[in-house]
Amino acid sequence: MLSRRWKIGLISFAVVVFLSVFAFVIFQPVQVLPRVRLAPGFILTDQSGQRLTSEDVRGKFALYSFTYTNCPPPCGGIDATMQAVQNQLDEIELYGNEVEFVTISVDPERDTPETLARHAADLGAGPTWRFATTENQNALKDIVGGGFRTFYEQQDDGTFLLDPGFVLVDGYGIIRNEYRYETVSPDVDRIVRHIGILAEEVEKSTGAASLAYEAAHLFLCYSP
Amino acid sequence: MTDTRETPPSSPVGRLLPIMLGITVVLALFAWLVLPRLRPYQFNGTVIQSELPATDFTLTSSNGPVSLSDYRGKLVVLYFGYTFCPDVCPTTLSDVNKALAQLGNKAQDVQLIMVSVDPARDDPEKLAEYVEFFNPTFIGVTGTDDEVRSVATPFGVWYEAHTEEGASGYLVDHVATLNVIDQEGHLKLVIGYGTGADAIAADLKYMLR
Repeated sequence: MLSRRWKIGLISFAVVVFLSVFAFVIFQPVQVLPRVRLAPGFILTDQSGQRLTSEDVRGKFALYSFTYTNCPPPCGGIDATMQAVQNQLDEIELYGNEVEFVTISVDPERDTPETLARHAADLGAGPTWRFATTENQNALKDIVGGGFRTFYEQQDDGTFLLDPGFVLVDGYGIIRNEYRYETVSPDVDRIVRHIGILAEEVEKSTGAASLAYEAAHLFLCYSP
Repeated sequence: MTDTRETPPSSPVGRLLPIMLGITVVLALFAWLVLPRLRPYQFNGTVIQSELPATDFTLTSSNGPVSLSDYRGKLVVLYFGYTFCPDVCPTTLSDVNKALAQLGNKAQDVQLIMVSVDPARDDPEKLAEYVEFFNPTFIGVTGTDDEVRSVATPFGVWYEAHTEEGASGYLVDHVATLNVIDQEGHLKLVIGYGTGADAIAADLKYMLR
């Protein structure tokens, strides 16, 4: 039998451990983005006619959006959001991580590389913003519909039903957050903040700190 | 003022010394023996924490249809390759075979399935002959181009045929990762090309513990 002193010691130890875990979960000293699922593999053609694959963006963060150049307003908000995120990137610490922007068109018939190039030029898109699609409609559906879980369907009048959204993917090709367009106003701020959180995790989750990050994943300390 | 208290038989420091020494030794032993074991296992592959099970599929092998869900209860190592593959696929398949050899009896809880990214040239019989050359338990499956691509996309895999000067016929560019699906059907691990047999064995061993 344990002496009374030992019992008290053990119980206090258990209480301290429990309270620390409790405090970690409540106060969330470390916040992370969930590892949602693997991003789809894709092989597309960009606005300069070059091949753009999921491997080309490996090792960098990538923000994806889905649209088509003939999309009537308020579709322009999608491109505007992509633009705004790029403009605000210098406000956060990226710790040397690169961010690629990929806008996938769901309308390969009309959005040829030339059309996409013109669209990119109109928007003043820089080299890290790629516009891409594939003529293989089945593959496109697998990638956008299946992989990125973004619904689209062409209507008889040529327009599309489209659930606009943004998807943030980390350097390992793992989807870390999805932004559905219904929550319009805070999207830009949220995405920018999340890119910062991702960069911080890459930078700081080494050695002993990586345990704190894994604990944050385990206890779902997800950034709002 | 005079001190009326009795002095203890020996000084407190002298009495506490053995206890302090004992505690130090115990702590040192604890740090040396226990702490390294408390450190969580570091996977060599990339850990995926998907809530949903991996997308199921059914493709054709030389022994009939094969579904991912047929192998619940086993670890499935899913690989996308093709029989004309000059070096990447043979290296990977032979690495997996070596890794399985390190697992001993537990190797029977692991099933490698290779999906052909060259459905035009790889028929089920040819695939079976190819994968069984590396390990008799390996399974090779194929389907139409559309079917194979639909299976590959959610695993982050794309492929494209291209012709190269000097090569006979064409080659197929493809993502050469090993996807490990756990006993409950969740994609757990993505292991990059060139990770090596020992590292693959360590990850599989940990998942089978």
